[in-house]
Amino acid sequence: MAETHSLQDLRHQAAVIAKVFIQRDYTNGTLCQFQTKFPSELETKIDKQQFEETVRTLNNLYAEAEKLGSQSYVEGCLACLTAYTIFLCMETHYEKVLKKIAKYIQEQNDKVYAPRGLLLTDPLERGLRVIEITIFEDRSLTQ
Amino acid sequence: MPGSSSKSGGRGPSSSPLPHAVAPPSRPLRPSRYVPVSAATFFLVGSTTLFFCFTCPWLTERFSVAVPVYNGVIFLFVLANFCMATFMDPGIFPRAEEDEDKEDDFRAPLYKTVEIRGIQVRMKWCSTCRFYRPPRCSHCSVCDNCVEEFDHHCPWVNNCIGRRNYRYFFLFLLSLTAHIMAVFGFGLLFILYHRQSVDRLHAIVTLAVMCVAGLFFIPVAGLTGFHVVLVARGRTTNEQVTGKFRGGVNPFTNGCWKNVSHVLCSSLAPRYLGRKRCTQNVSVQPPFLRPQLTEAQLAAKILDNGIQGDLHRSKSSLEMMESQSCDAEPPPPPKPELRYPGITRENTEECSLLNKAPPTPTMYKYRPSYSPGKNHTALTHAYANQVKRDSSSSTSSLLQASQQPGFRSQPSLDRREAPTDRVGGGAGADRREGGRESGGGGIPGYSLGGRSYPSFSDASVLSGRSSSSAHTSTGTAHISEATTASFKSLANQTPSPHRNGSLSYDNLLVGGEDLNKVGVTAAPELSSGKPCTAVGGGFNPPLLLQQREADLQASQSPHHHHHRSSHHHHPFLHRSSSSTSSSPPPPPERERLLADLPPGLQSSAPLSQPGPHHHHHHHHHHHHHSHHHHSTSRPPRFAAPHAPPHHHYPYRTRSTDTPLGSTNTIQSLHTPHPPPLGKSLSYSSAAAAEMQYRLVRKASASAGANAAGAGGGGGMGGGAVQAPKNLYRRTGRVLPETQRSSLPPPHRDELKRTNGGQPFSCSTPSSPSHPSPAHKPQGGSVKKVTGVGGTTYEISV
Repeated sequence: MAETHSLQDLRHQAAVIAKVFIQRDYTNGTLCQFQTKFPSELETKIDKQQFEETVRTLNNLYAEAEKLGSQSYVEGCLACLTAYTIFLCMETHYEKVLKKIAKYIQEQNDKVYAPRGLLLTDPLERGLRVIEITIFEDRSLTQ
Repeated sequence: MPGSSSKSGGRGPSSSPLPHAVAPPSRPLRPSRYVPVSAATFFLVGSTTLFFCFTCPWLTERFSVAVPVYNGVIFLFVLANFCMATFMDPGIFPRAEEDEDKEDDFRAPLYKTVEIRGIQVRMKWCSTCRFYRPPRCSHCSVCDNCVEEFDHHCPWVNNCIGRRNYRYFFLFLLSLTAHIMAVFGFGLLFILYHRQSVDRLHAIVTLAVMCVAGLFFIPVAGLTGFHVVLVARGRTTNEQVTGKFRGGVNPFTNGCWKNVSHVLCSSLAPRYLGRKRCTQNVSVQPPFLRPQLTEAQLAAKILDNGIQGDLHRSKSSLEMMESQSCDAEPPPPPKPELRYPGITRENTEECSLLNKAPPTPTMYKYRPSYSPGKNHTALTHAYANQVKRDSSSSTSSLLQASQQPGFRSQPSLDRREAPTDRVGGGAGADRREGGRESGGGGIPGYSLGGRSYPSFSDASVLSGRSSSSAHTSTGTAHISEATTASFKSLANQTPSPHRNGSLSYDNLLVGGEDLNKVGVTAAPELSSGKPCTAVGGGFNPPLLLQQREADLQASQSPHHHHHRSSHHHHPFLHRSSSSTSSSPPPPPERERLLADLPPGLQSSAPLSQPGPHHHHHHHHHHHHHSHHHHSTSRPPRFAAPHAPPHHHYPYRTRSTDTPLGSTNTIQSLHTPHPPPLGKSLSYSSAAAAEMQYRLVRKASASAGANAAGAGGGGGMGGGAVQAPKNLYRRTGRVLPETQRSSLPPPHRDELKRTNGGQPFSCSTPSSPSHPSPAHKPQGGSVKKVTGVGGTTYEISV
């Protein structure tokens, strides 16, 4: 588990206090969008704008992944023609964007969330149902 | 990927759990599952092979090589799509990890509603996968997985058809239809040219292939046409077959063209299972940065008491709203979040959310392990605040007592009513307490609305309770109706808690509590088929009014009842007078009878007696009447700590109701009949008795009320087991009579049901922490508490 990994890495540094789950926003159907509502548990930890910007960027990335554009159309035709053997060698458009998303989350964690004692978990690990934000204990305050 | 490997196909990646993801567990090998896919594969490959071997060579020579090429391409397409449909992961959701549902305990709603393009769509809780199923997701029982955009489980490919492989399934159907048509057509062509030599092998084989093709064509073409329509409409088979959008609007459609292009041209959705986890090498170490609070934010924080902040909880708004519907549940003992004790919980959100309109009817998913979520902690705190104002240590036990599932509706009622109640209750409580002191134990006026099963060891609690209960009774009546619907499932599962609550007062050895009232309240609620906990108790049936009258006469409660609202008194007076006229056993008789009965039963006796007489006359006044009745009948029930009946009179005289003087007559009404005791018990089954025992236990250990409550919350029968046993026995004995006599059929059925269920639960208690007989010796004292709706309950303590 990513959480386990990070916890194993960080056990000596910080302990998990809580986990916040950002749920999906289904107002536009089954498109992958997450709610930008700022959770109350994060109020003292991170700026609302920063959080919303992160979620909005993720939403945009997911929208791009699911977009019915020329790339996905060409991909589909090619796959049909090659009896789907092309999937063995080529990465689908969605997967490419997912890699982009993973990189973005990693970058956000490094720059924004980890310094604040938070950790974003890629929603792909949860089946694109929730964004999990782990809140770590601020030992500096407790000491 | 040859299609012939049907058996291996059945065990394809679509169903295999993969390492690191929380994947569904592997299922036992069931050979029968592979029969359809094997047959399909056999026929497909076999027939086509025969066609190519026997029919095509002649056709190639006779017509052109395009025939086999065309057929070959189509067959290849069929096979490719067949394999993709068979082996591809349809979009299985990995099981949710424990952390994710830590806040969804068994009281969380079964459904969450989400609005999609203006249409309300329900998301159901999947108990296997431990999350609320996203829209269009369904749990396949064959595969035991939740599948995204679940279409159906196809036995011919032995796989679920979902978001990821629907396209391949659809194309498989299209191509198979084309293939069957081609095979049949070319076979027919062959036969037409070989009419004279039909007995030749080639012709025979071709005929056989044509038969198979013709046989399969009709269902396959039908299915293909069906799916063409589905794709055009943007529906799944599941939605079509279950009629979800029958005559309604489909929120998932984007128009015919976009629906088709979405199915055919969208990029392949990602797999959720079987992904290698990319480890995040992030070091999180303190000190942590903290955001700078703007002045406005600080001001907002100061002003809103955290309520606004609470509204921005990380939990989705949906979850919050749904969980708020659970706020009617009794709060658990105050304790921090189990898993994350360090997090500061903002509990006021529940308060603010409770004030909103109740959400759409919810059913509550039953989960055997209960872990108090933040909702409950919030409720606990809210109630704790409320309780602190009015009562003493017994409030904690009250809260704990109200943890029973049956009490769910009550907390919300209390909360809504709390502000108003406290205003009135506070005044009333003061007066009551004053009166109590003078009278030696007046009717407890304080009640936390619906949560009517506090420990009654503290007089102040009682006084507080009755006052608030009087205020909240009417409100509770309405709200309980609304909330009971949402508790249906749980109510069906645990009908007893209501009963428990109703009976809880019976065994309370604290003076002044009107157990009967509570029991009465529970009874009408039960009879109405609602899972209201007896807590609310706002609906004293006419039957119980009698009892209440008797109780009220003895108690000092009328004092505070009068303060509450004069109109309560008048109906009460009417009732008391009527009850007076109907059955006049002398108070001493009643006391004697009460003394004879076990403590737990005493309170119920008075309630039950007057019931039949006044039932049809005063049902509309039952709230008020019971309120007063209990107060009047209270004195005789108290064994020791309460002043003789005449002490109650000062309270009564304060009210405008002169008939209070008819205490004796009213009291006498309640004395004579042991069977009515059973009647009151009949309203609350043995399960209710459990509740009583728990409360009695708490009452007896008032100092240790918290401990008792904690224990009580855990085990119903603990400690006070023995007392309940008596009640159970009596209940079993008396119920049939009382039920027939007093209860309308719904009550009876319900009571019988609960009766049957509950006695056993009661007798399987946790280790009794407090000797139940401890409170028995006190016997005879009756505590009156004002329940919801102004009814007074007598609780024999």
